[in-house]
Amino acid sequence: MERLIRILEDIQPEVDYSTCTDLVDGHYLDSLSIISLVAELEDEFDITIPTVEIITENFNSAESLWKMILRLQEDE
Amino acid sequence: MFAMNSYFSVQYLAVLLPVTVVLYAVMPQKARRVVLLLASYAFFWAVSGKLLVYLLASTLSIHLLGLWLSHLQEKGDRYVKTLPKEARKPAKAKSLRRQRAVMAFAVVLHVGILLTLKYSRFFITNVNALFQFFRSPFMLSVPAFLLPIGISFYTLQAVSYLFDVYRRKIPADHNLLRLALFMGFFPQIMEGPICRYSDTAAQLWEVPSLSWRNLTFGLQRILFGVMKKMVVADRLNILIQNVFTNYEAYDGFVTAIAVVCYTVQLYMDFSGTMDLVIGTAQIFGVKLPENFQRPFFSHTISEFWKRWHITLGTWFKDYIFYPLSMSKPLKKLTSHARKHLGNHFGPLISGSIALFCVWVCNGLWHGAGWHYLFFGMYHFVLILCGSLFEPLVIKVTGILHIRRDSAAYRGMQIVRTGLLVCVGELFFRAEGLRAGLIMFQKMFTDFSLAAFDDRSLFTIGMDKYDFLIVFLVMVLIFLISLQQEKGIVLRESIAARPLAIRFAVYYALILLIVIFGAYGAGYVPVDPIYAGF
Repeated sequence: MERLIRILEDIQPEVDYSTCTDLVDGHYLDSLSIISLVAELEDEFDITIPTVEIITENFNSAESLWKMILRLQEDE
Repeated sequence: MFAMNSYFSVQYLAVLLPVTVVLYAVMPQKARRVVLLLASYAFFWAVSGKLLVYLLASTLSIHLLGLWLSHLQEKGDRYVKTLPKEARKPAKAKSLRRQRAVMAFAVVLHVGILLTLKYSRFFITNVNALFQFFRSPFMLSVPAFLLPIGISFYTLQAVSYLFDVYRRKIPADHNLLRLALFMGFFPQIMEGPICRYSDTAAQLWEVPSLSWRNLTFGLQRILFGVMKKMVVADRLNILIQNVFTNYEAYDGFVTAIAVVCYTVQLYMDFSGTMDLVIGTAQIFGVKLPENFQRPFFSHTISEFWKRWHITLGTWFKDYIFYPLSMSKPLKKLTSHARKHLGNHFGPLISGSIALFCVWVCNGLWHGAGWHYLFFGMYHFVLILCGSLFEPLVIKVTGILHIRRDSAAYRGMQIVRTGLLVCVGELFFRAEGLRAGLIMFQKMFTDFSLAAFDDRSLFTIGMDKYDFLIVFLVMVLIFLISLQQEKGIVLRESIAARPLAIRFAVYYALILLIVIFGAYGAGYVPVDPIYAGF
């Protein structure tokens, strides 16, 4: 989780990731940030994030992102 | 023959809709589904006649293709489970390749029909122009296909259904009737919103009993839509037609007025139609997705497209932008670029490649013409520039001590975005790209207030009372939008008021339409603009 927060802070530093639950809905992460984030997460966690996973529910909070990473790691 | 060309026609509002509501109310639950489907096909037939066969073929095709995909997925999964762990990956890949082949066939089939019917004329005309340029004796004959109504909308729904089955987001539907309702539901078939199977199919199948709340809320929304269309959009029509058709006869000032009027008209026509569409669906207990979220409160062009024709934007995002930018080559490019260019500019390269494709599609989706392509490219460049220059703007405003969250700065952003949108709509409406460029140039080189001074502005199609009515209704809509921006749901607060106040509001709306609606002699109602796309 700490690695994830570090990546998120690197991409968009102006957010408190421990509390924010509307990263996409609140326009903190735009589509370019999401492209960047996906590339970084795939490298860092050795996963493949398929397009079907790029939905608001998965990207709205650090916690939902972490759950997606764990799920995809299990699937690999 | 029972024909109609719009949701605002008497045939729709006074015959098809009431008859459907009555039949829906008296039928048992299972028969209500059939009522909705028959009403949908009756509507399609009344607008497009025998071209209904295209909708029926598309529905049957996605039904069969969805089942085929599902069969391949189940077969693949069953086979993979029987294999040892190390042999599973290649077997999975093989199954996926088969599914991809079916998907490719499906996309070629559905998009191919759309391309042939909608774009072959444009394509062949341009090829012939090339032949002529090179003095070639060859000329291709230009086909004249008739377009079934809503093909640009239901094709996107069909493709999204198949993609969602392919991606296992939804199971393939074994029920042809439910799929037919999802594809052809009459309120949305002509101008959207572009629905996803997961959003509406189950709701359409539920067909709850008619409720007083759904009926009154639906009718209110329909009334509001009729008001926008008849009082504003139709009233502006003659002036817009006159100026855009005879653009050479008018100076820059009149052109600018017509451009603003057209932007207002487009918004009132399309959002008014969406009010009517969503209101109609609400009567039957179906919640369709919203297509507008007060777009003229946007601070940037990028934000504007998140608030205007929302379902088209999200379709392009989900089925073109992300699949392209997440493709292997572009992902590699992003990773590489991020290391060298940082977090802001790194993803911009692959993002802009995907964005370019989205805006080519968006421009051409609206119509087969170079000015539509120009419209798409115009917005692509504006959105790209917005991203490119954002760090610079932050830096400059910081140096100048300008607070980016101040009301003045936010207000300036809203006005700037509105003006940029108006310029885009000029090219969108112009009679070709050349006409658009001349009109744009006129606004800078031939600008004078002469048409206002000698009152000739009020003889082009709108007198001063027409301008006043449009202005007052726009003020009313602005005030309503302002409340909605604050999160206040006006209809809920009106519904909570005493009966007398509620009815006063409804009667006021009806009177507004009856007294100030632009109908009868002297007015030409605007054809449903988005239905033409």
